[in-house]
Amino acid sequence: MKARILEPARVLSIVDRLRSSGYEVIAPFLGRGRDTFFEPVTDANRDRIQIHLPNPYYPPKRFVLPHIERLLRIHRHDGTYDIEPTCDHTQRAIFGIRSCDVAGVYHLDRFYLGREFRDVYYEKRRKNLFLVNVVCTDPERDIDDACFCVCADTGPAARDHFDLQLMDLGDEFMVVAGSAAGEAFIDDPMFRKATPAHLEKRRQILTEVRKQFKTTTSWFPATVRYVSQDSILEKTWEAIGNRCLECGGCTYVCPACTCFTVTDRHTGPDDIERVRMWDACALGGFTRMAGGHNPRRAVHDRRNRRFFRKLAHYFIQRELSMACMGCGRCVAVCHGDIGMPSVVEMIRRATAPVEKLPPAAQTP
Amino acid sequence: MSAASDNVYLPKLAVLDRVVDEIAEVKTFYWHFENPDEQKAFRRFRPGQFAQVSLFGAGEFPASLPPSPTEHDTFFTVRNVGSCTAALHQLQPGERFAVRGPYGNGFPMNQYAGKNLVFVAGGIGLIPLRSCIVYALAHRDQFASLQVFYGARTPRELMYRDTLRQWEQSAGVECHLTVDRAGPDWSGHVGVVGSLFERPGVQLPVANTIAFVCGPPVMFRFVIKDLLAMGLPEACIVSTLERYMKCGVGKCGHCCIGVAYVCVDGPVFTYEQIKKLGEDI
Repeated sequence: MKARILEPARVLSIVDRLRSSGYEVIAPFLGRGRDTFFEPVTDANRDRIQIHLPNPYYPPKRFVLPHIERLLRIHRHDGTYDIEPTCDHTQRAIFGIRSCDVAGVYHLDRFYLGREFRDVYYEKRRKNLFLVNVVCTDPERDIDDACFCVCADTGPAARDHFDLQLMDLGDEFMVVAGSAAGEAFIDDPMFRKATPAHLEKRRQILTEVRKQFKTTTSWFPATVRYVSQDSILEKTWEAIGNRCLECGGCTYVCPACTCFTVTDRHTGPDDIERVRMWDACALGGFTRMAGGHNPRRAVHDRRNRRFFRKLAHYFIQRELSMACMGCGRCVAVCHGDIGMPSVVEMIRRATAPVEKLPPAAQTP
Repeated sequence: MSAASDNVYLPKLAVLDRVVDEIAEVKTFYWHFENPDEQKAFRRFRPGQFAQVSLFGAGEFPASLPPSPTEHDTFFTVRNVGSCTAALHQLQPGERFAVRGPYGNGFPMNQYAGKNLVFVAGGIGLIPLRSCIVYALAHRDQFASLQVFYGARTPRELMYRDTLRQWEQSAGVECHLTVDRAGPDWSGHVGVVGSLFERPGVQLPVANTIAFVCGPPVMFRFVIKDLLAMGLPEACIVSTLERYMKCGVGKCGHCCIGVAYVCVDGPVFTYEQIKKLGEDI
């Protein structure tokens, strides 16, 4: 990987260059209060782009997997139908995507493109996507109480799967290329060569930043093992299920959740569009079939399902990562305090002593 | 290959040819693809696979494929149970809908060569099994014995009556029917499907046997109990699972149980696998 140095005053020229070469650039902005959000950059808002800010709740996942996406446009005429697939071919760049969300996009890549069927809608968007990752270095503004990427091993600095990575070294920015497109991009006199001193500074900053995380007790390995071995007691799932309000919030903010539902909607007397929308396994109707039979009834069954899908070894092997990126959004949105780190801890605490007991002591 | 041809969500237009009433609220829909090439490609399906059926405006639903690839016709047998299936039930011959597929693993019929096949079905559970039974009869020399045990609540609720009659008269298959409640027109056996196993003259082979079980959850549980009690190994009992599905290609997540996506890893599972998945049938 090539490392370059850039003056802070010129960081936004990356956005300008991307825009002038035809990209729709998405960047983070501050809203009112704590609100932050990703939005397309225009001439009017370009100067308000933020480098350091709390990661928006609504993950940038929606630029590869929109919250509502049209799959087909269907026109009825003379007793037959014209069916037209509608793919998004926009060249898009996300500037300021955090390391956890970069890992999230890679996870989606593995899921949507890495199996027997490729999802062409996802593929088209992903192929045209340029990721400019920003390393979280500011403990005040970048890192939230809920962030735990250090536990999920996705941050604070992504190691791969970005095109460019920016890191604030204080008085300069380090720019690293992570793809051929990224390397071509930094092949420009605007960027200076980085020296070993710069690399040393990067290392020091990252060591310091890692100490700033407040949530560091999300010990995944044990939980992954318990989940995969099916050694978690039913009552632990019940305790987790009892705290679930079935709002589906965790799945909506998750950068790694993949489930969707599909529905047809009328847009005119003879026009129909088929759309897909994010769906949530927390919701009771998620597995309910026509006729009312629901193989997954209790709420703790559904919680079990979500955490099993995210943490089971089988899926980790298949997708090459857990389906948790440590972004902390589920922690922030969950009213029942069963975000990932809490669940990991609840499972670890409830399961570990059982494992240690000799078999005779386990029988009631 | 155009970009559109590898779009797994793109259904292909099909024409409804005719509709046959089976039992109350269940009809069989004969159809063909508008494009003959697609028809040809589709007919390579395996018994036990399914397809996604589109009724534009109502949506899409997964449907078992009751025909065997050895038959000429393509058809679905569908119960009117939700909004999409209701839309199909309202469709008139000559009207268009759309289909994509076939999907799923299907029954590995080649692996079952030389074995005794026992088919146990209850109610509309015969829909997915019809395909394998017809397939097995068409390749009769590949299998040892064929037995069909089929039960419905009443004689009026027996599916595929013409086909059943053929099976009853065929020398290649032993066909046992039962109903829970007989009417005046019923002279056959009365009782649950499992009671057929105890009927005099019925010999259920245990060694070298594959049992196909499809039916309502209650029937499934009891039949499995009976079969296991007879000494049939769990790995030799196969069934197809039914789940809410949106995509059929392992993406939408609705049919995911345990480590399996029913649409791509299933819908055919052995009882050994079903037990491990840890969910209701």
